[in-house]
Amino acid sequence: MQRPQQNRYKRRRIYVRRKICRFCADKSLVADYKQPDLLKAFITERGKILPRRVTGTCAKHQRRLTNAIKKARIMALLPFTSGHAIE
Amino acid sequence: MKLHHYETIFLLHPELSNEERETAVEKFSSIIKDDQGQIVNIDQWPLKKLAYKVQKQTQGYYVVMDFGAPGSAIEELTRNFRLDERVMKFMTTKLDDEFDPEEAAKKYAQKETKESQEQAETSEVDQEQKED
Ligand SMILES: [Zn+2]
Repeated sequence: MQRPQQNRYKRRRIYVRRKICRFCADKSLVADYKQPDLLKAFITERGKILPRRVTGTCAKHQRRLTNAIKKARIMALLPFTSGHAIE
Repeated sequence: MKLHHYETIFLLHPELSNEERETAVEKFSSIIKDDQGQIVNIDQWPLKKLAYKVQKQTQGYYVVMDFGAPGSAIEELTRNFRLDERVMKFMTTKLDDEFDPEEAAKKYAQKETKESQEQAETSEVDQEQKED
């Protein structure tokens, strides 16, 4: 009777492939505030910065990425929130 | 006087004409040059839609200047940006404490040659690392 329960538990643990950092994978890719189209891949629809666990970005590149996103926001190249966005 | 490597981006009002924008860019590059600064590159972007309204405007012209200058030139540049009605936003980033004009110019020379595209990308990576 115990066995099927254990199996169910094991089945629930779906294997998630660890994503690799895009900036480490492609050395030519640089987190630059002047490239809002690239940075858009790392923010939500509301304009919030996506966490590392979602995008798979490494700690070093996430740091550079957040700096670039913040600079882009200041320069109106990216939105702070979707609330003030221009449609 | 010691020169540092800077990058300045500023946003010009969308209703400015071609000539008016040229005049503005000329004014700000003169401020740099008049203080012994050296301009490496000026990139004028086409009219761009903004992510949010700035001074009730939904679009504007971005200008990016790559240059070497003493710190005093940045103070003067900033003072002028603040007073200038043509400028809606501006930001200066120090790329490096040291300014090497030949090294800085390479980035733009290589970008024009498709054959050495890869090398240009490598130099961009180098620059990014210096920024930290
Ligand atoms: Zn990385």
